[in-house]
Amino acid sequence: MWSRLKRAVGVDTRQDKYTFHRDPVVGYIATARVADTWIKTTCGYCSVGCGMLAGIKDGKAVTVRGNPEHPVNLGKLCPKGLSEHHILAAPGRAKQPLLRKGGLLQPVSWDEALTAMIENFGRVQQRYGQDALGVIGTGQLLTEEFYTLGKLVQLGFRTRNFDGNTTLCMASAVSGYKLSFGSDGPPGSYADMETADVILLIGANIADNHPILCQRLERNRLRGTEEQPATTVIVVDPRVTKTAMMADLHLAVKPRSDIALLNCIAHVLIREGLIDRAYIDAHTTGFEEFARHVGEFTPERVAGITGLSEETILRTARLYGNAKAAFIGWTMGVNHSTQGAVTVAAINNLALITGNIGRAGAAPFSITGQCNAMGTREAGFTSSLPGYRKFDSPTDRAELAALWNIDVDRIPTARGLAYPDIIESAVAGKIKALWFIATNPAVSFPNYKVLEQALQSVEFLVVQDGFHPTPTSDFAHLVLPAAIWGEKEGTYTNSERRVSKANPLVAPPGEARIDFDIFLALAEKLGVRDELFPGWSSTHDAFKEWQRVSAGRMCDYSSFTWQQIEDNGGMQWGGERLYTDGVFPTATGKAVLLSVPYLPFTEQPDGEYNLILNTGRTVEHWHTRTKTSQVEMLESMVPMAWLEMNPVDAAKLKLKPHDRISVVSRRSTVNNVELRITGIVAPGQVFMPFHFSETNSNLVTLGAFDPISREPNFKQCAVRVEKFDKTLI
Amino acid sequence: MALPLHERAQDGDSDGLVRLTLAAFLEPLSAAAAAAPASIPNAPKKLIPERPLKEGEQYRFHFNMNKCIGCRSCEIACNEQNGNPAEIRWRRIGEIEGGTYPDTSRHYLSMGCNHCLDAECLKGCPVDAYTKDPATGIVMHSADACIGCQYCVWNCPYSVPQFNQERGVVGKCDMCHGRLTDGLEPACVNACPEGAIEIEIVDMLEWRSDYALAESPGMPAAGHTISTTRITLPPNTSTELERVDTGRILPEHAHLSLVFMTTLLQAATGSLIFALLFHAARPTLLLVLFAITALALNISVFHLGRPAYAWRALKMWRRSWLSREVLLFGLFFSALTCLTIATCVDALPMSWLIRMHAAGIQPLQRMPATTLALAASGILTAVLGIGGVVASAFIYLVPARPSWNMLHTPVDFLLSAALIGTILPTILGSTFAATWTGHYPLWPCIVATALWIANQGLRILRLQRSKIFEHRASTTLLNLPGQRTALIGSFVLAASAPAFVASGNAMPACLAAFGAVLMARYLFFVSVVPLNMALTFTRGGTH
Repeated sequence: MWSRLKRAVGVDTRQDKYTFHRDPVVGYIATARVADTWIKTTCGYCSVGCGMLAGIKDGKAVTVRGNPEHPVNLGKLCPKGLSEHHILAAPGRAKQPLLRKGGLLQPVSWDEALTAMIENFGRVQQRYGQDALGVIGTGQLLTEEFYTLGKLVQLGFRTRNFDGNTTLCMASAVSGYKLSFGSDGPPGSYADMETADVILLIGANIADNHPILCQRLERNRLRGTEEQPATTVIVVDPRVTKTAMMADLHLAVKPRSDIALLNCIAHVLIREGLIDRAYIDAHTTGFEEFARHVGEFTPERVAGITGLSEETILRTARLYGNAKAAFIGWTMGVNHSTQGAVTVAAINNLALITGNIGRAGAAPFSITGQCNAMGTREAGFTSSLPGYRKFDSPTDRAELAALWNIDVDRIPTARGLAYPDIIESAVAGKIKALWFIATNPAVSFPNYKVLEQALQSVEFLVVQDGFHPTPTSDFAHLVLPAAIWGEKEGTYTNSERRVSKANPLVAPPGEARIDFDIFLALAEKLGVRDELFPGWSSTHDAFKEWQRVSAGRMCDYSSFTWQQIEDNGGMQWGGERLYTDGVFPTATGKAVLLSVPYLPFTEQPDGEYNLILNTGRTVEHWHTRTKTSQVEMLESMVPMAWLEMNPVDAAKLKLKPHDRISVVSRRSTVNNVELRITGIVAPGQVFMPFHFSETNSNLVTLGAFDPISREPNFKQCAVRVEKFDKTLI
Repeated sequence: MALPLHERAQDGDSDGLVRLTLAAFLEPLSAAAAAAPASIPNAPKKLIPERPLKEGEQYRFHFNMNKCIGCRSCEIACNEQNGNPAEIRWRRIGEIEGGTYPDTSRHYLSMGCNHCLDAECLKGCPVDAYTKDPATGIVMHSADACIGCQYCVWNCPYSVPQFNQERGVVGKCDMCHGRLTDGLEPACVNACPEGAIEIEIVDMLEWRSDYALAESPGMPAAGHTISTTRITLPPNTSTELERVDTGRILPEHAHLSLVFMTTLLQAATGSLIFALLFHAARPTLLLVLFAITALALNISVFHLGRPAYAWRALKMWRRSWLSREVLLFGLFFSALTCLTIATCVDALPMSWLIRMHAAGIQPLQRMPATTLALAASGILTAVLGIGGVVASAFIYLVPARPSWNMLHTPVDFLLSAALIGTILPTILGSTFAATWTGHYPLWPCIVATALWIANQGLRILRLQRSKIFEHRASTTLLNLPGQRTALIGSFVLAASAPAFVASGNAMPACLAAFGAVLMARYLFFVSVVPLNMALTFTRGGTH
């Protein structure tokens, strides 16, 4: 009372809260941000994998700073990273297990929660078969955790229907690499972006999504002068993204015309002799057929398909072909497609025919999504067996069986269903129980109405997450509160194959437990702990086994310890770049030049649905916003979604800036979105950020998937835009 | 004065964190890049000055629009550095775009304080909480000295100072003075992954004669306060870059306490003058005016973020119109108090005076001198009141708030005094007819009302037809449904007031007059569109 009065009259200005302190470590700073201990760790948002120093005071994380000694980011962080400590004590954290009883989620003990889970999964699997359980893991887990989870699901619960949410973002890159090189594994390094003469970014808005990579381009530019630039940055994107604005040349292609463009570049390269014949002969197969195939992709024809001028296409091809070292980077613009995997192969083709692979500055480089998407690709047990082993290889299976000391027959001979097929099977009544770990499909999965059916039709739905409620946990029968970044110890692998150490900063809130501990506890209840995880008590035990399992594989962890990883600011498996010798992990040892057909995207606009909807991200938010909506600064910067529309279309529809509109597709409608009229998007196209459950773009997106990678085609679907009418809801 | 810039960084003994948070920016990240053939011909650039300031120089920000990628790390770093709550942003990002697809240009602005040569925040501050640091030229603000009047918020053309509700005081970017003095770059400079922000030295005299490099699309004209921030614009400026936030202009804070305070003080002043003119300044009326003034002054004190220090507002009367307003209304209140007491005593019945005399108290003698003194003090009070009203109007004549910065503002304040002043005393006339002998004519009320309406109407017309965006935006705000109703209401009420007076309904007339002025004043506050830097499309996190 007294203090409130003192504040009311202004004697007190909360001065104590706003004092500053000369900290010996970071210098003059708000006292609230002064730490007494510092812990090195790695950012838990995206796959750039920035090194961080987290400051702890009285058991709370009070600050994070970029680790100046970390080779990835040299002390810099994006706004999400800089505010990451705020998520640990966020009000929305899940703090206790909740079990649905009488229709309501009610607090229960861990023992009751896990018993219920084992019983229900057991019941479902007994009744409908082992594969009636579907499990979706995540690129948010530590590699040690994902490895543990894979064993638990495939060998413990004995269902093959296990996949990661990485299928929503990286699967096409994985499949594309496999198609061309015989294995996953991005061949280059971030350092290549500093030395490449040409950097071709396709469907990659790094300024919004991987901002810390942008400094590489700037560094590269500094090598040159105004008269003699060191590098040319070419950005291929139908939208004038922040990244497009950084480019020397922006190719504003028509949506999904990238394969035609890539084939045409190959056509010009071959026609003009800008190829590396020696490399092609020594290290690739299929060139003759490939050359014949791309022969049809003349600049004249492709100019029509892409909407670019012939001159621009020729210029791009010549820039790429004449570069001493050319780098191609891509992200979701390529992957989020029904032709994602083959588009990646088309990219790889360019690198192969010009020998732009395995050298400094030269790589076809997939920039990954989540902090540990790569780690889940290595530890696998989803689309491949751990350590990039193949389900269909008897040798690989035998090797694993020996390592694990189990009967080889227990290892499946083919992968189970991929993520979208698990969802469709749930709708079809074949999958009867689902377990989601640290992912939020109710916002991230395309064509929400189908997903909703899946979530509603399973008999038992477990959602294990660091936050509750989330749009997905609302459907759950059981909610398991989990620890998140900053509360557990292990490794993440970034886009350049750099394994970095993530360390615990604080204890998980309430009763939340580390995912790894949850997996072990389940194994215990399932009676497989001693067999699958003998003597394990911490993620380090998982790491030690993972070292043995990955030894001799492409992703070989056996040569570095946790400590070495931490001391070196991460260790790149495979060294700085792969395929330096031109030998590829295919049967022939040569890379494959794949003839990739050009097909228009699935749902073309028509009279009724006349606009093409493109979706993407903003720099302020991460994925489905479960984390970033809890960081007040980030949330207030971008509190709502919007729809970008070209002034030409807005004029036709008689819409004004900031009008509230509805985005309507054949599947559903997103209501009450704010309209942004802007030349950022082309006439005929609209764009919307996908982070917002309140205005979920995935209500309207298309449930079409890449036949190879099973990745959804988030980027193009046909919609129409109407003025939002409140009374119709 | 030399600051030990870089010394700590270069001594080699500093902790790794400090060493490397220093701006060794754009050195090769990896060994491979360093070993590459064409290795970095351009030397890494330091982002803070490497030499001490000379006489006549100051620090300033340099912002390179070509490097900024709009990542907003600087904003977060600033809040983390200063421990500010999420809704306060001492550094803000704006977006500007132009051109036609696919030749669309979009760029970003990142701005803290511009540490102007002619800082308006500083000039207007009634308590001298601002100083332009003689050593660095940084415009510093003292939270201890600040009383939370928020006048600087109105004065700054970039909307840089922001009021911290939790603290009751304003705060702003100080270029991380505390870090600079230790040889460390400001938090925003440190955080920027692109090295788009740096601190450099500017010769103040040279800059004053040519500050063209401070100008940028999306920024208010630099000349008004002579912003020192240098902005490197994109080389191709043929595309006209425009703000993207202009469709999301929200009504400003209503400042209800100021709505009431200004209205009540104008009412008191106007009524007093009217009563004096018609020899009706009787005790009852004066007591009412005294009460109104006391109420208004209390409101004004509690309007502050720190009411306990309201007295400090007198300090800068030589420079700040806010100080002058406080001073003049303070004196007005004192004079009014004296006038009221004297008039009351003067009006006491003779028998009371005799009794008081017997009790040894020597009251005023009923002499011609007394009447003269009363008249003189009445005039003095009235003059102080008008002075207060005028000073009050001048507070709003700030270039950073274009729709206030018009002749219509002082005219409105005076006419509002007249509108209420020509009506309020008539209530007392009807209620206390027994003790009141004079008659008010009707024409002053009609004239005041007509002029008041004319002034309001003309103001809106001029706003509407103005070339200045902020003027037009004000009319857009006035057109919002609620605002439009209030606007029409204020005109209707004002017009009805003289009709009520004429028909002998003094109380409704008075209520109508008050209602009209209060509504118009409310609209005056909410519809102002301040100058500001361009913000983002969502304008999120800023106001």
